[in-house]
Amino acid sequence: MNNGAHNGHGALMTPKAVEDDLLDKGRLRGSTFRIAVIVFAVLSVLGVVGFVIRLADGFGNTPVWGYHAALFAFILTAAQGAPMVAIAPRIANAHWRRSISRVAELFSLVGIVSFVIYIPVAWALPSMEDGRRTLWFYGELNMPAHMPEITTTLVLLALTVNGLWLLWVSAMPDFAMLRDRSTGKKKVWFSRLARGWVGTSGQWNWQKHRLGILGAFYFMMLVTAHFAFSLDFGMSLVPGWIDALYPATHAHNSLQAGVAITLITMYVLYRFGGYKDYINLDQFWGLGKLLFSLSLLWFWFWFSSFIIFWFGAKPSEEAVLDLLFVGPYLPIFFIVFTFAFLVPLWAMIWNPLRKSVWGPVTIACGVLIATLFDRIRVYVAAFSVSESTNKHLMVEIPGAVLPDVADVLIWVGGISACILIYMLGTRIIPPINIWEQKEVLLYRIHKPFHRTEVQVLGKPE
Amino acid sequence: MQEHVQLTQKQINDDLLSSVLHTPRWWWPAVIVTGIIFLTGMGAFGYMLNQGVGVTGLNRPVFWGAYMVNFVFFIGISHAGIMISAILRLTQAEWRRPVTRAAEVLTVFSLMSALMAAPLVHVGRPWRADLWVFPYDFARGIWINIRSPFIWDPSAVMTYLTASSLFVFIALIPDLAVIRDRASGYTRKFYALMAMGWRGTPRQWKLQAIAGILLSALVLPVFVSVHSIVSWDFAVQIAPEAWHSTIFAPYFIIGAIHSGVSAVATLMVIMVWVWGWDKYLKPDHLDAIGRLLIIVATTWFFFFFLEWVFALYTLEDAELAMRDLQVFQWPWSGLFILFLVTAYFIPVPMWLFKSIRRSYFWMFVTTILVNIGMWLERFLIIVPGTMRRGEFIFDWGSYHPSIIEILMVIMTFAWVVLGMLVFTKLFPLIPLFDIKEGMVGRDEIRIGRRIVPASIRE
Repeated sequence: MNNGAHNGHGALMTPKAVEDDLLDKGRLRGSTFRIAVIVFAVLSVLGVVGFVIRLADGFGNTPVWGYHAALFAFILTAAQGAPMVAIAPRIANAHWRRSISRVAELFSLVGIVSFVIYIPVAWALPSMEDGRRTLWFYGELNMPAHMPEITTTLVLLALTVNGLWLLWVSAMPDFAMLRDRSTGKKKVWFSRLARGWVGTSGQWNWQKHRLGILGAFYFMMLVTAHFAFSLDFGMSLVPGWIDALYPATHAHNSLQAGVAITLITMYVLYRFGGYKDYINLDQFWGLGKLLFSLSLLWFWFWFSSFIIFWFGAKPSEEAVLDLLFVGPYLPIFFIVFTFAFLVPLWAMIWNPLRKSVWGPVTIACGVLIATLFDRIRVYVAAFSVSESTNKHLMVEIPGAVLPDVADVLIWVGGISACILIYMLGTRIIPPINIWEQKEVLLYRIHKPFHRTEVQVLGKPE
Repeated sequence: MQEHVQLTQKQINDDLLSSVLHTPRWWWPAVIVTGIIFLTGMGAFGYMLNQGVGVTGLNRPVFWGAYMVNFVFFIGISHAGIMISAILRLTQAEWRRPVTRAAEVLTVFSLMSALMAAPLVHVGRPWRADLWVFPYDFARGIWINIRSPFIWDPSAVMTYLTASSLFVFIALIPDLAVIRDRASGYTRKFYALMAMGWRGTPRQWKLQAIAGILLSALVLPVFVSVHSIVSWDFAVQIAPEAWHSTIFAPYFIIGAIHSGVSAVATLMVIMVWVWGWDKYLKPDHLDAIGRLLIIVATTWFFFFFLEWVFALYTLEDAELAMRDLQVFQWPWSGLFILFLVTAYFIPVPMWLFKSIRRSYFWMFVTTILVNIGMWLERFLIIVPGTMRRGEFIFDWGSYHPSIIEILMVIMTFAWVVLGMLVFTKLFPLIPLFDIKEGMVGRDEIRIGRRIVPASIRE
């Protein structure tokens, strides 16, 4: 079966056939899926065990919470950046996004896990009473001593709710299809979720506008969340770390890792989920190019910060370079630099690799690993200096903090919980956007052109 | 893009070659006026060379004034060409077609103006500029300091100028052949030489397309590096506190795109008004560029916000004093408000309305405002930055540009206008082949009762 998406060739499926095929795929899940769900559920429980062990250290001991903070930062960066892969091409009207927009939007569900993981991090953050430099001008303005926790919590909550709302609005027409084909309790649930969707022109217009507005807000919330977290939970803990670009770098990393995680998820659905008719080379190629350009931007963001510190060579800046780049975390930085920039650069300039399924996915795995290590490098280091007595200049560089058993369990459990909630989400929401697939069939025709046949793609305003 | 007028190849040739094959009555007066302004500026430059830089308003502690502001401003404008041409070409945005050439040419002349503003004029003794690049003394092997941003600057700008000129030329070749086939005598020889034997064979088209894509991809890193390096002229220093910020590279680049794309929009409107090319530069194009500008301007504003937030975050007296000077001390406070209002708060809310985005007049007004604001932005970074009363600065002077500087600033603007005028007389400002290709690749699809514009994909 071919829906005609692959390079624009092949027979076109009817909208009805697309609907039947995708709904069937959603309903019929094999035993492998069930086994995977059980495995990830068990691993998630291990995370809870790790958290209980960590609790024994108490929230007052900030450095031991570094790995937990890094886990949260990693999930925020990778998973919560993924919905942007649906939002940006949708705003740009790029047709190739249609097969992958739901794959990306489903990561909004991970926001719930991410928020739960965040709560202990907020508890572990030292109060502003310790005299560190903060954006909140504590002591000069009448700010509560826990302003960073309050604002970041509100922003993360807004981001999570916004993401879920976006997912719901996007899935509404699909819920209506599921409602019309279900019976009993399922029909009641899908009716509630579809909110009386019958597909009138008014409803389509309403949905289009809501998707635009929610998408724009999601982007703003994502940037604000990265700004708040990177500043209050990272930079402000390191005396002398004044890097105006870092919040933007943090947000950029999120877009890069979001593309990477979407590519990997796409590959899993392509290889094991039976969606080869919908996800094909066009999508891997499109996202691969995006990943390539974001990897080049990674270098530019990093270098823009690095050169100012290196050239300025103020004692406070040299100490920050020591801590984050050339000191105890040098091996980690080396891994980050290699997989976030060097490997994508030298591999993706090679056409056969960029225009393949395996190439972008392999690079994406590297980028995700780099993001993971980068968050460890930044947050474990930042939490490790939180007890420094001089709050404006780092006099002593603390050594590298290695993970203990609790940290490993928390990481395994946290990541498993994210995968679990995503998998469970696909049980309710089709991982391929059915209405977008049906819509593109209207916009695409094939016609003869001189001595060949071409694909004509409509682009509405 | 809902408006579509199908034009024949002959119509396209007639319309777009009108600027080359016919001389409108206003053209000579326009060239003469801008030429006189340019020559007056060159006269002022000669006077400065003769008398020394003392004739300018530059003095301790403000050694960077209007010339450097102009340098940064024109480097910013030059980002239009690559933003519009290379990025939109790589992303296959159809609306780029009538805009690319004008944007690329604007890039080339702006870069020349930038070079005129800094290495030629600002240094005071331009005949010694070679010492930036070549060793001071071959015999003793004393080399220039490659760690100095003043070495990076000319290297980056010259690379960018070379790449941009090549970019313009490669895209011009098919159009040059069209003019060659319509010209006679010496003119024909000139265009034949320039067209380099173009016949429009499949192989030539293929090579031209590949060259365009490759140059687009290669010029992008140059484009990013140029303004990053210009920003590092400021940011790597620690003395003017407000300049020592990691955000400067992206902040300068996004600001450059804001001002450059606005300049292209201004140019598009002028092209419609002057040559009547409204069949090619339609309200749809302005609408698209307006939407792009909303995103660019808001991103720029975000970086501006970050720059300010982190200036306050430092809680360092020197940094706070500098910000106080920029915002609360007259006349900088007035300029600061004018900058914010013209660069963001007037144009962006206006662009949110489709009727404004599709209006030639309002797009002209708003994009001019943006560039007034962006010039002021550079002025407010440079001048209050250097005149702050910091440690070991015992001359607490201010800065007022002298008439010599003002004439030379006007000269650089006149140069861009003059260059564009001469270019339009020699070459088409809208690429003929690109428009024709767009016409061939266009189609329409009927969906229910609506006709949706479509394009052919391989």
